[in-house]
Amino acid sequence: MEKPLELSRYCVPFTPFVKALEESLVCLVTTAAVRAKTDTPFNVEGDNSFRRIDSSLAGADLAYDDAHYDHACIDRDINCVFPADRLASLAREGRIAGMTAEHFSMGYSQALRELRETTVPQLARAVSVARPDAVLLTGG
Amino acid sequence: MVTVQRAIEMLGISTVLITVEPEESAQARPPRALCPRGFIAGHSLGRPNDEALQKWIVMDALGLLREPARPGEVVRRDYT
Repeated sequence: MEKPLELSRYCVPFTPFVKALEESLVCLVTTAAVRAKTDTPFNVEGDNSFRRIDSSLAGADLAYDDAHYDHACIDRDINCVFPADRLASLAREGRIAGMTAEHFSMGYSQALRELRETTVPQLARAVSVARPDAVLLTGG
Repeated sequence: MVTVQRAIEMLGISTVLITVEPEESAQARPPRALCPRGFIAGHSLGRPNDEALQKWIVMDALGLLREPARPGEVVRRDYT
């Protein structure tokens, strides 16, 4: 039996966006190892798990576990990489409809094969279950 | 990061990436991506506690969802 076809990296998946932003629920997804302060920390040396972040939490309720990007900004304001408070503000202003109940964060990892084959598909499915109209992704 | 983005997009959800590593991101072919020019990792949305700037960048990124498709490209903009 032949392996199923895989998407070439030269091919770009594209889902048209048909809604108005004012009617859209937005989900944040980051690789900056952000989590709720009350949640289990990421292992900064390498961690293939992801965290769910209650979108009702403010930036002050969040933490990060990282040793790979500059922290001068995020130590003063987590919105530099994870703009949860800014999305909440845009929702209050009616410029987006709101946020999904959960946002998502991955940690740092060099175990690329496991990431590709396990973590990323699991995360993508979890994001899909949250039923966002649009997803905003940020790195570190 | 783009790997995650592409996986979500493949499930039928529109996505947009904010990246400060445009060359690396473009190689991985993102469905939509915005690079705020001159910013570095850890400062993807600019200066700390600059709410207006951060919201401007977030709205610009979300705005790419409504613009003509440029799949695989990283759109670079200045915010100074």
